[in-house]
Amino acid sequence: MKVEIVTRRDGEQEIVAYDYVPRDDSEKPMILDVLLQAQANGMPDLAFRYGCRARNCGVCTVDINGRPRIACRARIKEGDRISPMATLPALSDLVVRRDGVARQMRGRLATAGQGNDLNVSAPDDYHALTGCIECYACLHECPMHARNFDGGLPDEQAVEDRPDPAEGYTSGNPFSLLKLQRIRIDPLTSEAGKSSALDNAIDLGLDACVGCKGCKCGVGIDLIGKVIWPMLEAAGDRLAEKG
Amino acid sequence: MPIEVDWCDYDVVVVGSGGAGSHAAQAAAATGARVLVVSKDPIGASDTKISEGLATVRESGSDDDSEEILSENLKMAGGDLPLNAITDAFAADSKEAYDIYRRQGLRPEIDDERDIPKPLPLPMGGHTRRRSVGHRNSGIAFGHANWNMIVQGEGIDYLEDSWFLDLVTDQAEAGTDKSVVGGIIYHAALGRLIAVKTSSVVIASGGLSTLYFPKTDTMRGNTGDSYAIAARAGADLVDMEQVQFLPFCLASPPSYEGLLVGEPVTASYLGVLRDKNGKVILDGVFLRTRADCSSAIMRAVEDGRGSPNGGAYLDMTANKRPPRSGPYFMRFVESALPSAYKVARQAMSKAAGNCEEPWEVRPSAHYMMGGIRADEHGASVAGDGDGSAGAGLAGLFTAGQAMGGVFGANRLGSTSLTEGAVFGRRAGEAAAHLARKSATRDTREEAFTPMIENIRRRFGQKGDSAAAVLKLELQKAAWINIGPVRTADRIAEMERVLSDLDAKLDDVAVPGYAEWNQAFIEFEELRNLIASARGVCLASRERDGSLGGHVRMDGKQISAFSKPYSTVVSHSPGGGWRVRRVNRDRTPLKQIIAFKIQDAKRKAAVKWLRMLPAGMQDRALEKKYLAVMGAGGTAKEVMPGGADAAVGEATQA
Ligand SMILES: Cc1cc2nc3c(=O)[nH]c(=O)nc-3n(C[C@H](O)[C@H](O)[C@H](O)COP(=O)(O)OP(=O)(O)OC[C@H]3O[C@@H](n4cnc5c(N)ncnc54)[C@H](O)[C@@H]3O)c2cc1C
Ligand code: SF4
Ligand code: SF4
Ligand code: FES
Repeated sequence: MKVEIVTRRDGEQEIVAYDYVPRDDSEKPMILDVLLQAQANGMPDLAFRYGCRARNCGVCTVDINGRPRIACRARIKEGDRISPMATLPALSDLVVRRDGVARQMRGRLATAGQGNDLNVSAPDDYHALTGCIECYACLHECPMHARNFDGGLPDEQAVEDRPDPAEGYTSGNPFSLLKLQRIRIDPLTSEAGKSSALDNAIDLGLDACVGCKGCKCGVGIDLIGKVIWPMLEAAGDRLAEKG
Repeated sequence: MPIEVDWCDYDVVVVGSGGAGSHAAQAAAATGARVLVVSKDPIGASDTKISEGLATVRESGSDDDSEEILSENLKMAGGDLPLNAITDAFAADSKEAYDIYRRQGLRPEIDDERDIPKPLPLPMGGHTRRRSVGHRNSGIAFGHANWNMIVQGEGIDYLEDSWFLDLVTDQAEAGTDKSVVGGIIYHAALGRLIAVKTSSVVIASGGLSTLYFPKTDTMRGNTGDSYAIAARAGADLVDMEQVQFLPFCLASPPSYEGLLVGEPVTASYLGVLRDKNGKVILDGVFLRTRADCSSAIMRAVEDGRGSPNGGAYLDMTANKRPPRSGPYFMRFVESALPSAYKVARQAMSKAAGNCEEPWEVRPSAHYMMGGIRADEHGASVAGDGDGSAGAGLAGLFTAGQAMGGVFGANRLGSTSLTEGAVFGRRAGEAAAHLARKSATRDTREEAFTPMIENIRRRFGQKGDSAAAVLKLELQKAAWINIGPVRTADRIAEMERVLSDLDAKLDDVAVPGYAEWNQAFIEFEELRNLIASARGVCLASRERDGSLGGHVRMDGKQISAFSKPYSTVVSHSPGGGWRVRRVNRDRTPLKQIIAFKIQDAKRKAAVKWLRMLPAGMQDRALEKKYLAVMGAGGTAKEVMPGGADAAVGEATQA
C-alpha cells in the first residue's frame, strides 16, 4: 500500500513515498502501523508522537489529507498523505509543538474554594467532558485558535510574527473552553469559581463562537451542545457588550 | 554548532508528570519549594492517563477493612518482599491520597448509604476485601486531575517534550559521599540542553515495559529511564526480576497486539483458562493473582499446548449461557473494566465480544514491581536488610512505578494509582524538606561539565547502526529470554545480547541538528533499556526459583514458608554491575497459614459452584450478582475511542 509521509528535518520539508507491507492479507492498517513500520524499515529517524496505541493518551494526532486523525485508531488507505497537524507549529517530521495550548490555561484552573464534602456525584455532562483525551483534533478550522496566527495557520506566518508557545497562546480553542466548562459544571466548584471560569472563556475569545459553524471533537464529544452553547448562553449580554 | 546549554536552579526537580510526578510536585510546592516538573511526554500523558482507572480506597467496600488488613494483604501477596514500613504507609495514606485526586476534580460514583465512593462489585484478584473504586472515563479522569495540578502552576514550573537524561552528583565537601547536585535535560522542542542545579530530584518516570514491545499494554515512554538514571548515579535497585505480566492481553490483530482486555476479576465466577486442546489449565480465575494466570498460560505455551499466537484461551462462556445470571454477567463485564472491554469488542469477533466464544489471550508486560530501592518516604536507601537513607544516594527520591519495594513479587490490581498518590506526596514532601536543609549549598558547575561534553558529542555521531532498529532487536530478545518465563541459559543469552548492543552504541548514527532529534531520543532510550535489562538479568540470575512475576522453568517454586529475600542490583563506574541478596522479614507462620486457609476456602467455594446442576447454579449466581451489583441499569459510559466516534467524522453539529 503506497502512502506519502511529509517529513521535516532542521526546517527542510520533503514528501516521502512509503510502501506499506501488510502483515496479513486481511490487514487494514491504522496510520500508526504505517509509521511504526516505516521507522523499523528504512526511516529509523522518523519523528512522530505516540503512546498508548489505544486512543487514550491523545498524543498521536496527525493530518491525513489535511484533516486531523488519531493515528493509532484511524485506518489509512492507498494514496493517503500523512502530515503534521497544521494547526500547531511543526518541529520535526510529524511532531508539532503542543505546549502553547496547555500554557494558556495556567492560572485559569482554580475552582476557588471547593466544597468540603467530597462525596458528591457529578452530573453526566461532567463525565462526558472528562472523556476529552487532549488530542487537539478540534483545533482544526477553529477561528478562535486561528486568531493566534493572524487568522491563518502557524506555519504560514513569518518567523518574526509567530507567537511564543512558551508564553501560552492568547486565544482559546474548543479544548480550553471544554476545560473551563468542566469547572463550571463540577458540583464542587464555588460560585466564584464558576464565574471566574466564564471570565476566562471570554478573555480567551468566546466571542469567536458567535455565529461560528462549530467545532468537531476527535472522540465524539458533543462540543457544541455541551460546551459552546452553555457558555454562550451564560455569557449572553456580556458578549454583546464586548462585540 | 554544538547544542547550546541553558542553566537554571530549583529546590526540587520532579521527573515525570503521571500520577506520582504530579502528586510529588504539588506536595513539594505546597511547602513553599520552587519546583520544576520535567516530562518527556506532554503533561499528564502517561500510564496513569491510559489506565483502567481503578484505585484502591481502603474501607470503600466494607467496614471490616482496616489499615492492618490492607497492609498485610499487600505484603503477603508480594511474597513478603515488600517492606513493612512501606505497606503500612500505603495502607495508612490510601484514603487521604485518593482525596487529593478528588480535590482536583476526580468524581467517582458515591454509595449514598455508606457515604463513600462505590467500589467494584467483586474484590479484584488477590484482594481480601472489595476496595477497588472504578471511574467513568477510566484513567483519562485521573489524567485531567494530574494535568490541572501541574498546569495551574502554583509554585510549579514545567517543561514538556523534555527528556531528563542523567543525574549529576558531586561531593558536597571533600571526604563525604556524593550527593545529587542536579541533572541534564534535553529539551527537544527548543533544541537545547538544560543543566538544572538542585539538591533534590524525585524520579517518577515510570517503568520499563517497552523492553517487551509490542507485547505490552503500556505507554511507549516506559524505556526504563527511571532505573537506568538512578543506577548510573550509583543508587541501588531492588527486586528487578519482578516484572508483572498481565495475563489477559491480545495477541492479534496486529494493531491491537499487547493491549489489555481483562483482569482475573473479569472472568467472574465461572471463567476458566484452557489450552489449545480445550483442557482447563486454571479454574477459579477471578480469585487468582495476575502472576498465577500469566504463569499458567506461559507454562502451557512452553509445553506446546499454547494457542496459535502463543497464548491460551480465556473461556467465560459458562458465565454467559445461563438464562437468569447470564445477563448480569454481561453487565458486570461491561462495567467492571470498561476500557479493556471496549478494546476486546473492537478487536475480536462479535461472538467473542459477547463472551459466547473464548478469547485468545497472551500475557503482556504491564508493570515493574522492582525499582529504585527506597524507604517509606521515597528516599534512596542502601545497606543490609531494609537499608537506610544515610547509606543511599542523598538527594534522590522516587515514587510510583519507578520505586521498588512496595509490591514485591506481585502487585494487586488497582494499587498503582493509589501508590502514585501516596508515595508521590511523601517523596515530594521529603524532597522539599531536604532542599530547605541544603539551601545554602554551593554547586560547582564543573561537576556538570564532563556529562554535558559527552552528550554534546553524541549529536553528529557517525555510524552504521540505527537506534530504532537496535531497539527492536533488544525487544525481541527480551521477550524470549527475560520475559514471562526464564531459564539460566536464556538469561545468559540475554546478557550476551546486551553486551553486543552495548558495543554498538558508539556506532549509532545521530544527525547533528538540535531541534527534536528523534535519533538522539532513540539513542538515549536504547541506552536506558539496555541498562535496565541488565538489572533484570542480574536479579533473575540470582533468584533461581519461581516467585510471583519471576517464573524460572528450570527452578522450583519458592515456598511462602522459606526465608524471604530481595535481590539488590547496583552499578559503579569502576566495578560494573553487581547483585546481592538482602533479607526480608517473614510474616509470622500463624498468619501465613490463616491466609492460605482463607484463600483455599474462597477457591473451594467457586469449585463447588461449578459442580452444581445447571438450574441451581444459575439461581445461585443470580443471587450472588444481585447481592453485589443490585438490580439497577448498566453504568453509562463515555467511550473515547468507541467505534461510534471516528475522529473528526461522527460529531454532532
Ligand atoms: C492499560 C493500563 C491499565 C492500568 N490500569 C490500572 C488501574 O486500573 N489501576 C491501577 O492502580 N493501575 C493501573 N495501571 C498501572 C498504573 O497506571 C501505572 O503503574 C501508574 O499510573 C504509574 O504511574 P507513574 O506516575 O509512576 O508513571 P506514569 O504515569 O507512567 O508517568 C511517567 C511519566 O514520566 C515521564 N518520563 C519518563 N521518562 C522520562 C524522562 N527520561 N524524562 C522526563 N520524563 C520522563 C513520562 O512522560 C510520564 O509523564 C494500568 C496500566 C496500564 C498500562
Ligand atoms: S465554536 Fe468556538 S471553539 Fe468551536 S470552532 Fe467555533 S470558534 Fe472555535
Ligand atoms: S475536545 Fe475532543 S478533539 Fe478536542 S482535545 Fe478534547 S478529545 Fe480532542
Ligand atoms: S497513541 Fe495514544 S491516542 Fe494514539
